[in-house]
Amino acid sequence: MESVLGNWPSYDPHNFSQLRPSDPSSSSKMTPATYHPTHSKTLPPPDQVISTEAKNILLRHIYQHAEEKLKPKRAASENLLPEHGCKQPRVSS
Amino acid sequence: MYRSSNIVARIFDRQICTPAPGTSVHHARRFYENLVPSYTVYEVECPDHSFRKFTDDGQYLISFSRNHQELIVFRPRWLSFSCNDEDCDKHDLPSKAKKFDSFFSQLYCVPLASCNELICKDFFLYMESNQFGLFATSTAQIHDAPAVGGAVHGVPSIEKITFHLLRLEDGEILDKKVFCNDFVNLTHNMGVFLYDDLLAIVSLRYQTIHILQIRDSGNLVDVRAIGEFCREDDELFLNSNAQHQLPGNHIENHIHQDQPNLGHSFLSGIKQRLLSFIFRGLWNEERDDTLRIQRLRKNFYFHFQDYVDLIIWKVQFLDRHHLLIKFGSVDGGPQVSRNADHHPAFVAVYNMDTTEIVSFYQNSADELYLLFEQFCDHFHATSRNSMYMNFISSHSNNIHALEQLRSIKDKASSSSQFVKKMLASLPFSCQSQSPSPYFDQSLFRFDDKLISATDRHRQSTDHPIKFILRRHPYSLKFKIKPGPEAGSMDGRAKKISSFLFHPILPLALSVQQTLFLQPSVVNIHFRR
Repeated sequence: MESVLGNWPSYDPHNFSQLRPSDPSSSSKMTPATYHPTHSKTLPPPDQVISTEAKNILLRHIYQHAEEKLKPKRAASENLLPEHGCKQPRVSS
Repeated sequence: MYRSSNIVARIFDRQICTPAPGTSVHHARRFYENLVPSYTVYEVECPDHSFRKFTDDGQYLISFSRNHQELIVFRPRWLSFSCNDEDCDKHDLPSKAKKFDSFFSQLYCVPLASCNELICKDFFLYMESNQFGLFATSTAQIHDAPAVGGAVHGVPSIEKITFHLLRLEDGEILDKKVFCNDFVNLTHNMGVFLYDDLLAIVSLRYQTIHILQIRDSGNLVDVRAIGEFCREDDELFLNSNAQHQLPGNHIENHIHQDQPNLGHSFLSGIKQRLLSFIFRGLWNEERDDTLRIQRLRKNFYFHFQDYVDLIIWKVQFLDRHHLLIKFGSVDGGPQVSRNADHHPAFVAVYNMDTTEIVSFYQNSADELYLLFEQFCDHFHATSRNSMYMNFISSHSNNIHALEQLRSIKDKASSSSQFVKKMLASLPFSCQSQSPSPYFDQSLFRFDDKLISATDRHRQSTDHPIKFILRRHPYSLKFKIKPGPEAGSMDGRAKKISSFLFHPILPLALSVQQTLFLQPSVVNIHFRR
């Protein structure tokens, strides 16, 4: 039986009998569509280097908290965001 | 995941299944569920030494002589014997199994302490990359020592503390570092922290953090001393400026001749950094100048003397550039949990390179507790060389440990008391936990009060300590019973036991001591 799987032994000879052998006409249908970008806005800068952050996550959080505390507060939001009510580490803005 | 708990089935599974990404060590560790130290040899005839611990790579067993003057290092090996019969399992072990020598071979015995010194038997640090061991000897403690030369009141003094760096392969002493008339808290490695090749030694008496580097050649090299000065050239700068003031103060200098040249009108460098950090933090909280001054008066100047009186109690590395420093009052004492309520303690993160304090928390701060709960592993600063450190169970990497923590939290009467109690363990002590997989909370369940990965002496009971499987079939896998097989005759004497687990092999020692003069009972637990 000619099939994609060739003449591999099978427990039941009727298994895989529905599979049709691959032929040139059907292979083009099987090719997935390729998408090309129409713009280059999302290209990374040519000199970009990706490396691991040297500071571990604990230190990153500690520095983040420290930066938030040192940022002078705006007068309008002083009453809305009490300092000591903040219990969750905030994601950096 | 292994479906069967049969070891042969697991080995077959291992041949065909790849574990999920990032879990290969956890997967391999599950074999420890099958290979357990279930057999005990009671009351082994062993030399009368005080056994300290196995090194974290399992290569050496460190012990000290009873008189605390010599270091004896053993190499763990395995019992071997041959049996000609068909059914060997039924046979008892040969009599040589009861000998210590069958399990350990002595490598060398090195005298470390001279006549009036004693080896501090609670202190040992291991540098795995070069197989170097750090030991400490000290002379007797002098309480009520006069506070001269910048020393802090209330801290005892030791005439001579020597740190010895040895190559454990052959016992050669590579280098020594001596501290005179100083005090370093040596019990359970509390005053010293080793991270990679950097060593931080806290001199409590002179309030200085000495940073040393252990070179591959075996030399202990001074890197910096943080305390009075933060940058290396601070002392030079102050000295050169002080010289301009000398002519004017000439008369006063004659009167106060025992004071050093700089005078102690300046607060120490680290204290200044801390105070200015607190000041700036409070300053930034208000925009209006009047409110600022009010806030500073209430939160800073009112407590100014308390802040000035804070002393460094304990230090650990967070990475090569950052230190976590615990500040407390002089009466606080290095023992933590009992005094946590009465004495305020603070924790600061200090960047050694920029000499800036990054943050400062009181030991009841919820923010710090959240970091502790989520990132506990990062507080146990692990050097790049020791991979096993990432697998020691903590409440940040293990669901069972986290459940335990949550149950303590729910039972706690007051949230701030709970937070203080948890944060009292910061900064952590170095190398205080055993990497043995038998303490892995996802493999075994055991009674935390009787035995745990932390190497501390515990009150011992006559009942064996059970290790039960976490996973199906939740069965009892092995028991560790310290003390003699039949239980001891004298039920009233207080017994303390310590457990030494080999990090890799299914081998453990349990040592039970009663009074100081009586020899200790050593049992060997291994997989037969």
